[in-house]
Amino acid sequence: MSAGAAGSPGLSALAPGAQPTGEDLKACCATVYADPAVRWMLGEVLHPGGERTTRRALELAGLRPGQRLLDVASGSGASAILAARDLGAEVVGVEYGVEAVRAARDLAADSGLGKRVRFLRGDAEALPVEDDSFDAVLCECSLCTFPDKQRAAAEFRRVLRPGGKLALSDVVVEEGALPAPLSGALATVACVGGALSQAGCERLLEGAGLSLTASELRDEDADLFTRGLEERLRGARLLGIPPPPGTPLSITEAIEVVRLARRAIADGALGYAILIAEG
Amino acid sequence: MDVIAQTQAICPRCEAVLDARLLERDGRVLLSRTCPEHGPFEAVVYGDADRYREIQRFDKPGEEPRERQTESVDGCPHDCGICPEHAQHTCLGIIEVNTACNLDCPICFADSGSGVQEHGFSLSLEQVESMLDAFVRAEGEPESVQISGGEPSIHPQILAILRAARAHGIALVMLNTNGIRLARDPRFAPALAEIGVHVYLQFDGFEEATQQAIRGRSLTDEKLRALDRCAEAGVSVSLAAAVERGVNEHEVGAIIGFGVGHPAVTGVFFQPVTHSGRFRVDSDPLDKLTNSDVIEAVAAQLPDWFRSEDFVPVPCCSPTCRSATFALYDGEDLIPLPRLVDVEHYLDYVTNRAVPELDVREALEGLWSAKAAGGSAPVAARLDCIACATAMPPQLREVAARGFMIVVQDFQDPYTLDLQKLRKCCVAEIAPDGRLIPFCAYNSVGYREQIRRETSAAAAVGAGERA
Repeated sequence: MSAGAAGSPGLSALAPGAQPTGEDLKACCATVYADPAVRWMLGEVLHPGGERTTRRALELAGLRPGQRLLDVASGSGASAILAARDLGAEVVGVEYGVEAVRAARDLAADSGLGKRVRFLRGDAEALPVEDDSFDAVLCECSLCTFPDKQRAAAEFRRVLRPGGKLALSDVVVEEGALPAPLSGALATVACVGGALSQAGCERLLEGAGLSLTASELRDEDADLFTRGLEERLRGARLLGIPPPPGTPLSITEAIEVVRLARRAIADGALGYAILIAEG
Repeated sequence: MDVIAQTQAICPRCEAVLDARLLERDGRVLLSRTCPEHGPFEAVVYGDADRYREIQRFDKPGEEPRERQTESVDGCPHDCGICPEHAQHTCLGIIEVNTACNLDCPICFADSGSGVQEHGFSLSLEQVESMLDAFVRAEGEPESVQISGGEPSIHPQILAILRAARAHGIALVMLNTNGIRLARDPRFAPALAEIGVHVYLQFDGFEEATQQAIRGRSLTDEKLRALDRCAEAGVSVSLAAAVERGVNEHEVGAIIGFGVGHPAVTGVFFQPVTHSGRFRVDSDPLDKLTNSDVIEAVAAQLPDWFRSEDFVPVPCCSPTCRSATFALYDGEDLIPLPRLVDVEHYLDYVTNRAVPELDVREALEGLWSAKAAGGSAPVAARLDCIACATAMPPQLREVAARGFMIVVQDFQDPYTLDLQKLRKCCVAEIAPDGRLIPFCAYNSVGYREQIRRETSAAAAVGAGERA
């Protein structure tokens, strides 16, 4: 682990016995989700339901052509580009990972959308944009990984204009119902350990002055997503593909963790939801 | 009851061409028509109507054949070779080198056997050479040919014939055999290895009742000995199972399970039994097994390994003719390739807004094809291309040898023959005069019988001249 971690900044957060700080976890997430092997194993779709979930979340938020949308934790930019291209929004993406920002800018340049989609490097807990400057905020499968969720929620509120909509899609858990391997730093990076219950999420948003206006469970997408992940991990084991350097789990152990997650989804202890809140 | 499409079919009694409809009834697809003389006929052509509609997007536009061999006179299906109406080139050519066999199966679309044969023939090496020449003329660089019969392994010049096929530059030369000679003659498998032949071995299941029903006697010991000899000699084998409802559909999972574990076996072909030629099993055209039934049986019997969607239609022929998958297997776990590469995306010719990466599509078209067999060199090269061109990690390259192919292939009979499908057929019998005759026409509208009569008569005249 230690040698691999030297080459993979951020992965030290996952070392056995590590006490990662919030900054460590943020760097770790950015590294993991930019890794080609991880991206392949997730099928290049980094959240359950992929494009379908993105479209549904923006539909529920009532995003209209010409409106300004902020995509928080925009990754390599697929959702932001979709919103600009297919829904006619003016989009800004903010992403913590430097490499991902670069990839997103390349993708945007190829898309020919010009200034309708831009990407900034930044932290969800201190968004590099002005107050009251967006009609909608999109945050997909990321709040669960943010170390300081209250600050992130406050930031969503700050950048939304009055009456603007937050479209959140995220992992939801039933509190206290997850088995041990699905908590801890690794599980946090895998979106499960740091996930809130739907009620907890609602409380968090209300604490920031955002009130829930709609919610939709997407457990079928969660099941398909984890099923695909398990199959690609099995494929990786069959093909002899090593896990990314520095990852503390073998592929076989990762398969077991994903199977636990699938069981938790079947039992209702773990799921995926779209939540819409108004500023 | 919905009408899905209009097409043409034949009267199974008089072979007259009739307007026909594809209907949905009870969730299945039926081919329905009425002969003015012999009345109405219906036959099931696909067991899952929803899936039937869904897979039409895998219908790749046909490729122009290099050569038109006949003229349109009587209309499809009565003008074969490749006539001006045919809408596809030929992926796989079949040469039947004899009619004699060392088995007398109750089911045989070729009506072969061991007794004294009325109208039997055994082609000369020169005749086979000229048929191979004709195939090369028609296809340019054909990739695969299957030497069949009768039982081709008992042809006195079989090794010379196989060598001739390889010498025509054909990469995949298959020998369609019952395996008896492989089991009994220890020199046969090494000779096939030396020539570079892939064995297509009839293998219907393990149960006594299955073998009695389909082959007339128990063959398990001989099949296993044949396979072991192939493994020892380094000959790769596809198992070919004729699947009949109520006989061996419950054995499809066991056949795959056995195949992936055997060192010689690189694939399994399931063929719902066609009711052409000789079949003594009572058959009801409304109770015929189709591809979707076989695929569902595989998924039900091996739920940890397969789902129905793992079987993607081969786009070259009609999407209901042939579905296939490739499976990665390491002795313990098995993963179908479509779980790792979005095969459906690349082989969808309708809903794709943008044309996907062409090299990947071409490689997948070569894998999902009648010309492919597991473990062959062209298949390995295409798997390599996919690893290269997609986000798939490069380790897939090493997996070619483990790229186990499973095919479900439904051939048509006089009850199920759909002329629109037939015009896109890419599997052809090569006739002694060099015509390429689409396989399902060959077996359904009299070509087989006619060619058998003519070929045996010509051989008798030839023998008379020599004497």
